Amino acid sequence: MSVLRNPARFLTDPLRGAMQRWLSRRAPRSRSITLNHSRLFILPTRAGLGFLLVIMLLWLLGTNYENNLVFALTFLLVSVFVVLPVHTFANLTGLRLQLLGTSPAFAGDFAEAQINISREDKREREWIRLCWPPEEGAYLDLCAQASEDIRISMPVVERGRVQAPRLRIESRFPLGLFRCWSRIDLDVEFLVYPRPISAGPLPFGGVQTEGDFGEVRHGGDDFSALKAYQPGDSLRHVAWKQYAAGRDLYSKDYECRTDVRLWLDWALLDGRDVETRLSNLCYWCLQAEKQGIAYGLRLPSVAIEPSLGPSHQREVLQALALFPKWGS
Amino acid sequence: MATTQDLLPRESLLWIFAAQFVALLPQFTQLPLWVPFAWAFAVYWRLEVFRGRRDLPGRTLKLLVIFLIIAGLAMSYRRWFALEPMVALLTVSFTLKNLELVSRRDAFVSLLLAYFVAATLFVREQTIPYALYGLLSVVVITAALAAQMGSFSARPRRALGLSLRLLAQATPLMLLLFVVMPRLGPLWSVPQDTSAGRTGVSDSMAPGDFTRLSKSDKPALRISFDGPIPPPEQRYWRGLVYSEFDGRTWRQGFGVDPRNGGRVYWRSGERPLPQVGPRYRYQVIQEASRTPWLFALARPVSDSTEVGETEDDRLVKRTPVYSRFAYEVRSWPRDTDSVQAPLSTAERRRNLQLPVEGNERTRKWVENLRRRGLGAEEISTQLLARYNREFTYTLRPPALGVDSVDEFLFGSKQGFCEHFAGSYVFAMRAAGVPARVVAGYQGGEWVRGEQYLLVREYDAHAWAEIWLDGRGWQRVDPTAAVAPERVRDGLESAAGEEFMQDSLLPLHRIDVLVKLRLQWDMINYRWYQTVVSFDSERQRDTLQRLLGDVSPLRMALLFALPTVLALLGVLAWIWYSGRRRKLPPAERLYRKFCRRMARAGVKRDAGETPQDYAERIAAQKPRLATLAQRVTDAFERAAYAGESAALSELRQLLRWRLASAVSPAHKRELVGS
Repeated sequence: MSVLRNPARFLTDPLRGAMQRWLSRRAPRSRSITLNHSRLFILPTRAGLGFLLVIMLLWLLGTNYENNLVFALTFLLVSVFVVLPVHTFANLTGLRLQLLGTSPAFAGDFAEAQINISREDKREREWIRLCWPPEEGAYLDLCAQASEDIRISMPVVERGRVQAPRLRIESRFPLGLFRCWSRIDLDVEFLVYPRPISAGPLPFGGVQTEGDFGEVRHGGDDFSALKAYQPGDSLRHVAWKQYAAGRDLYSKDYECRTDVRLWLDWALLDGRDVETRLSNLCYWCLQAEKQGIAYGLRLPSVAIEPSLGPSHQREVLQALALFPKWGS
Repeated sequence: MATTQDLLPRESLLWIFAAQFVALLPQFTQLPLWVPFAWAFAVYWRLEVFRGRRDLPGRTLKLLVIFLIIAGLAMSYRRWFALEPMVALLTVSFTLKNLELVSRRDAFVSLLLAYFVAATLFVREQTIPYALYGLLSVVVITAALAAQMGSFSARPRRALGLSLRLLAQATPLMLLLFVVMPRLGPLWSVPQDTSAGRTGVSDSMAPGDFTRLSKSDKPALRISFDGPIPPPEQRYWRGLVYSEFDGRTWRQGFGVDPRNGGRVYWRSGERPLPQVGPRYRYQVIQEASRTPWLFALARPVSDSTEVGETEDDRLVKRTPVYSRFAYEVRSWPRDTDSVQAPLSTAERRRNLQLPVEGNERTRKWVENLRRRGLGAEEISTQLLARYNREFTYTLRPPALGVDSVDEFLFGSKQGFCEHFAGSYVFAMRAAGVPARVVAGYQGGEWVRGEQYLLVREYDAHAWAEIWLDGRGWQRVDPTAAVAPERVRDGLESAAGEEFMQDSLLPLHRIDVLVKLRLQWDMINYRWYQTVVSFDSERQRDTLQRLLGDVSPLRMALLFALPTVLALLGVLAWIWYSGRRRKLPPAERLYRKFCRRMARAGVKRDAGETPQDYAERIAAQKPRLATLAQRVTDAFERAAYAGESAALSELRQLLRWRLASAVSPAHKRELVGS
């Protein structure tokens, strides 16, 4: 399909693969990387090609008017063009990048990585861009300070542990005529939760339990005792028989031995596909947390006791995120 | 599509406008007045857009503006294919670009255009002030480019500093390229700047023309000799020959003017050379005159390109001299050439031409002399004696009427060189002696111990030549009869009080200033010699001087040696820059610990935090747990909290405990601690 839609990919895909393999040999994965000549690439930008065009035109002007000052200017610009890549390269080389951590994200959202960039020498660095290619990424300068932490985000689509592609670090300093860049693999791995998809209200009391694991809940099916009627009790539960027998007004108390705690159960969502189920559970998890109701999670493989709070939520969401994928 | 990062911030805009202004400023004086105004208006509009008070112009408005500007250009310039309309067109593109200066790409286009506009300045003038201004423009434009790289770079000192640094670093290579890059000739003929007024000696001579030149002290020629130097009274730099007189104005006329039938020998050797060698060899550097006339001593021959020799012993250039032009000349003064071909009939007729009527009194006077049986030379002597007796040389001659020669010879009796030359030739022709007016420069001033002769506009002069059978063309300078000091010492001494009287400040009277001006001219001369007139010929000379012999091997060495050295420097730096720096002490100690632990069997994984590592060590080698924990704690405190006590603790821990920790002999002791 993809080949049909874009025949060029038929050719570029193998190339890209080869490029990736070459890159991974040349610039292996590491959480901390110092940029140097074996990792950095440099080429003129489009503006740089425009600059060359201007040089050509100036040379023609100088030649046709036999004008030595125009020649001097032409050669000056040529020399600047020769000197420039050294500056552009110097702006990146020796920079140390370190992955500080990643924050989890929901699928369909942006995941964020915290990266520290530092320089060990005195040279001021400017206008450095870090990004995951189609994204705009972040710009930073290292002028007064020698080290800076930045956050870079990229969109994530699938849940699970997502290995980020190679991060691109580039700079066009000082004139924007050259671009020096590197594709580095900081071993960035995002934990991506399922995309929350609404599955209706929270599933209270939907789970029958065996034995005495659950707690006693009033208002079930089984009659347990009579108690004195209190205003507000349902009229349906009034013990009319006893009342008719001339006794006081009693209401019948029913109870059931159901687990009344909120369980977000895989089994509740029978009939939907795996990803939707996970998405729905994720939604419920967020809702419960928001409403402050303790909740537990039951997956075919995992069960997490009901509780509340950020760490609990993290645990639940992680379990959802790491649920084995279909077919794997 | 322009993303937010691509939109131009305020500093970028201001820098672009600054660069445009600097590049355009010298052009503004040359452009039609409305162009600078249009530019300023476009800038104002763009700034208003930035402030949010206005929108960028819509498509209709833009089209209208383009149409208006094209129409304006068409009205201002009749000719399209010339230099000024091209510069105007560039300026106008600037102006229009400002109205859609939105993204970084637009900024780049605008600034690259600015480089080109700055260069067109040099096509007009190549003097030192212009060169310095051009350099300033390049500095500002480069700074503006640098300022596009974010707000830190846009601070004026930073941007200009960057720009200066880049340009300074580029200079050595630029000089090398300037010297060694081959100069091809023009690839096609290009439009020249024609609007600026012509200076110097003009195509025709009417009374008053030379008076105008006497008011200018601009340099006209710089002449350096190789070998003997002509004495002052021989320094007649011939440029034009006027042979046609209409009663008031002298012109070159048909058959003399190279554009009008005058024969020009472009190839050397086309016209036979005298048997003897040339007496004078010299180089003339001529200022832009926008005319094709070159100036040289009589019977000049030049092998310089584009230079040809006319039938009447002058040099002309194939195209007008639009910028300083240097040419080598060899001269044979007339007395060195004994063989004289007789004057052809056409030539004789041409040099006897007079208007049918007018100036009757002069004609009669000459007729009287002829009737007395005087020959050509005697008539000439009579006339010169008359000038000497009765005439005065003045820079402010009275105005003359219709019969200008009569009025001058018998009326006012005051005049400047053109009056004397014109009346002399008229009289000689009336006497039947072929004669012609020659115009050019006379004299010159030595600069810096006779290094070169500086001829200024006020040295412009007109004199006469008469044909004497058997002796050929002879130079006669009627002015010398009246004011011999004009020829000997120059105009300044001849005209005395009148010299440069109209100038705003009588600077020529202040000795120091005169010296300073000569110094300045010296610098200019050197500038021109070394930079402006550096052509393929001089390039060969320079290379020969540098290398001894221009062989491909030596050329390659000249190129390769600096290149290889520079490359080696850059490579060394690249290697050095990517090397790991010396680690801080805490880190160094910790790595030592890691290495020892690895030897003990627990290798630290890439990216593993110290705490994780310590835990793993504890899990795998329980007997090292305490040690690992203590080292890790000390390291973290030393590295992150900067505690010096922790650092020394770490050092101590590693010095002896660790040393013994991994050596099997002390295992027991360690576990005990």
